[in-house]
Amino acid sequence: MTPARRKLLAWRCVALALLLIGATQFGHGAWIQGKAWLAQLLIAQAWARTLAGERDVRPWPWADTWPVARLSAPSLGIERYVLAGADGSALAFGPGHLAGTPLPGAAGNSVIGGHRDTHLAFLRLLQAGDELRVERADGSQVAYRVEHASVLHKGDFWVAKQEGPDRLTLVTCFPFNALRAGGAQRYVVFAFELTNRGGERGTRG
Amino acid sequence: MPNETPTANARVVAFDVISFVAFAMVIALASAVVLMAAVLLLAGRAHAASEPGMLLLRTADGAQAPAAPLLSTDVAFRVSGMVARARVVQTFHNDSTEWVEGVYVFPLPENAAVDRLQLRVGERRIEGEIRERGAARRTYERARAAGRRTALMDQERPNLFTASVANIGPRELIAVELEYQQTLRYEDGRYSMRFPMVVGPRYVPGALKVSAPQDTGWSPNTDLVPDAARITPPVLRPEAGAINPVRIRVELDAGVPLAQVSSPYHRVAIHELSDSRRRIELADGPVPAQRDFELAWTPRAGQAPGVAWFTEFKDGAHYGLLMVMPPAAAPGTRLAREVVFVLDTSGSMAGASIRQAKDALAMALARLAPGDRFNVVEFNSSAQRLHEEAQPVNPRNVRHAIDWVHGLDARGGTEMAAALRLALDGTEGVGRVRQVVFLTDGAVGNEEALFRLIRERLGDTRLFTVGIGSAPNSHFMSKAAELGRGTFTYIGRIEEVQQKMSALFAKIESPVMQALEVHWPEGVRAQAWPRRIPDLYAGEPVVIATSLDRLEGEVRVTGLRDNRAWEARVPLALNGGGAGMGSLWARGKVEALTDSIREGAAEEAVRIQVIELATAHRLVTKYTSFVAVDRTPARPSDAQLKLAAVPTNLPEGWEYDKVFGELPQGSTNSRFALLSGAALLLLAMAMLRRRAA
Repeated sequence: MTPARRKLLAWRCVALALLLIGATQFGHGAWIQGKAWLAQLLIAQAWARTLAGERDVRPWPWADTWPVARLSAPSLGIERYVLAGADGSALAFGPGHLAGTPLPGAAGNSVIGGHRDTHLAFLRLLQAGDELRVERADGSQVAYRVEHASVLHKGDFWVAKQEGPDRLTLVTCFPFNALRAGGAQRYVVFAFELTNRGGERGTRG
Repeated sequence: MPNETPTANARVVAFDVISFVAFAMVIALASAVVLMAAVLLLAGRAHAASEPGMLLLRTADGAQAPAAPLLSTDVAFRVSGMVARARVVQTFHNDSTEWVEGVYVFPLPENAAVDRLQLRVGERRIEGEIRERGAARRTYERARAAGRRTALMDQERPNLFTASVANIGPRELIAVELEYQQTLRYEDGRYSMRFPMVVGPRYVPGALKVSAPQDTGWSPNTDLVPDAARITPPVLRPEAGAINPVRIRVELDAGVPLAQVSSPYHRVAIHELSDSRRRIELADGPVPAQRDFELAWTPRAGQAPGVAWFTEFKDGAHYGLLMVMPPAAAPGTRLAREVVFVLDTSGSMAGASIRQAKDALAMALARLAPGDRFNVVEFNSSAQRLHEEAQPVNPRNVRHAIDWVHGLDARGGTEMAAALRLALDGTEGVGRVRQVVFLTDGAVGNEEALFRLIRERLGDTRLFTVGIGSAPNSHFMSKAAELGRGTFTYIGRIEEVQQKMSALFAKIESPVMQALEVHWPEGVRAQAWPRRIPDLYAGEPVVIATSLDRLEGEVRVTGLRDNRAWEARVPLALNGGGAGMGSLWARGKVEALTDSIREGAAEEAVRIQVIELATAHRLVTKYTSFVAVDRTPARPSDAQLKLAAVPTNLPEGWEYDKVFGELPQGSTNSRFALLSGAALLLLAMAMLRRRAA
């Protein structure tokens, strides 16, 4: 084998390796996005069963989370199923309800977290005055009005405080265009409940 | 391709590159779809609480009242034999230009008998008086309104107190001096004395109640912890630097020649005064109040006391403290055991604590013997167990358990009741030995409810608590172990895990001394605490505080170990050096009375008895407080008084955001992966093209 051929072979090997890494990386990214999208489809069915009266319906048999509410932003045509638990393994499949805060639609301050590049990407488009709607497991609807949004630190846990008006607090990462995950900033949207709602609400927990 | 024009060539190259990259992307997408199924399969556990909304989140603004007085503490111990007397001086320095009322929530040892309080204003010393808690508060509030300097000290838990000082003038210093008496721990031939310095933030379960406006805690009161606001002083973010300096000095008179004196968590300077006496000081000056101080000493070989007896004559009665150490246990036949390990993985355990706890648990698992059975329970906002049923000990099961524990993360709430329900089944079985080893920092506000749960569900199980970290809740550790008929251990550093866990296992594997009884001589009327002596594990002594009408004859202590009778006789002679024995006895009686509520006694009857006893012996209890009032009015009637809670440090090694919560992470790496993947694909294509061309 001539040195030139050997060099060519080495070059090709490097190129192929890059190709492989590139394909894996791209696939990984596509997989995160695809998983986020596919899971919501599966969760939709679990939600239908929840509305029909079942409790804690797992969207797939080995799931450790289940839908607790349906969140929609009518002005943007957005619809998301909120899952129980706001840690990484639930957030991969949908926005998550922070355990310890009242369920979405219940009295108090319900905190929902989600990814800025998948389910909660729409938060950046919300304007003060926009309406948000929550469908609860019993089928009742609760309406909220976006009050304001703030950029905060991940340690600003006071946003989960229960005092004050009944509200939804939506949390996602900031800045929205950052490529990598794991920053310390959070984009927090506060939406206050609109009054005059029929039906009995859950008690504060 | 030599015949083609450069433009056409470029077009072909571009087309090839694009088609190839597109092909690679399609392949990548297809594999992503396949992987998606796999990911659903491999989806990790979601820590979703089964009853969302049942627990209350801990929230803190981190906001600190600007006028909070600066606090410094000076502690002097006098240790003689197995009793310590401590004088704690808390100095409140009002650095502002306003009149201030300072409220400081602080810990003391869980068995401290607080029997003296003085308010120090400049050179003046005002002696505090013991009053019923409500009456003491009213006296304090009247003095506060009248502009007089005043101090109040309440007990919130046996190891948790609140000092309130009102009408501290601008730029003024006011000191509160309190004294307490305490029996020391003597175990495995080693004495130890702990002085807690900071109240770790407690988890508060239950449904929220409306808080009173003067509440200074970070947690509102709840139905399960109705006094949550009183036990949750504001916590400073550690980045702000440590506050509340503490000076410590110990005059140690061990009564026997000493082999070794050590302080595991603080650097100390030890001055040898004689064979048996030492003076100990912090080596580097004051330390911030952020972790427990411990001093331990061992007598020289062969000098360890087997019996000790001290008396005090006070108000017409004799009070005595008796210590008897049974002889070392011969190793018994090892019975097959069922051990359930319970690991606290709540947010307060994050950081150094969870590392210590995991190490301790891994070590304990490795120590199990074939024939034993085991299970592991972990809990934070909810509790889960590794197996439905205890599993036999074999290398595979142990490996699996160690891996499972290794993968656990510390975060979320401390729903301890759920874990206790899983670990204690309330059953009894003939011939079985069932033990629960509970690793926690005890950072909860609902201790009493948990004690009741332990009492109800214990069955024939024995509960051993292992207090983890720099500021464990000593009241929880000792009382839970007492009710669980086990023993408690502290691990405060990763380096201690090996030795402390070995010692614990040596204890739980050796036969216990049971059926312990104290026989007082004929004609002597004695009232001793604790009334029922708990079973003793290897290396533990009998310790009794007693009152007597006269000193004569000898007391017999009897017990049974491995079906062999044991007896010790101690002459009831007058024995000086027993100052403060009366306080210890009264403290023991107060504890016994308070415990009787759990066993069904009427609280109101107990309250009346405790108030009477505590007033006679000048003791701070749940129902009695110290109040001191300076007669001279100080604050002009037109000057406003500002209430300010003294903030505390976060205990060393704890993680603020894990305790007070952290907002969920809201992003993935998908965009980065897509972008970098596409870039790499393009680069690779370009490289292949160039070479081929």
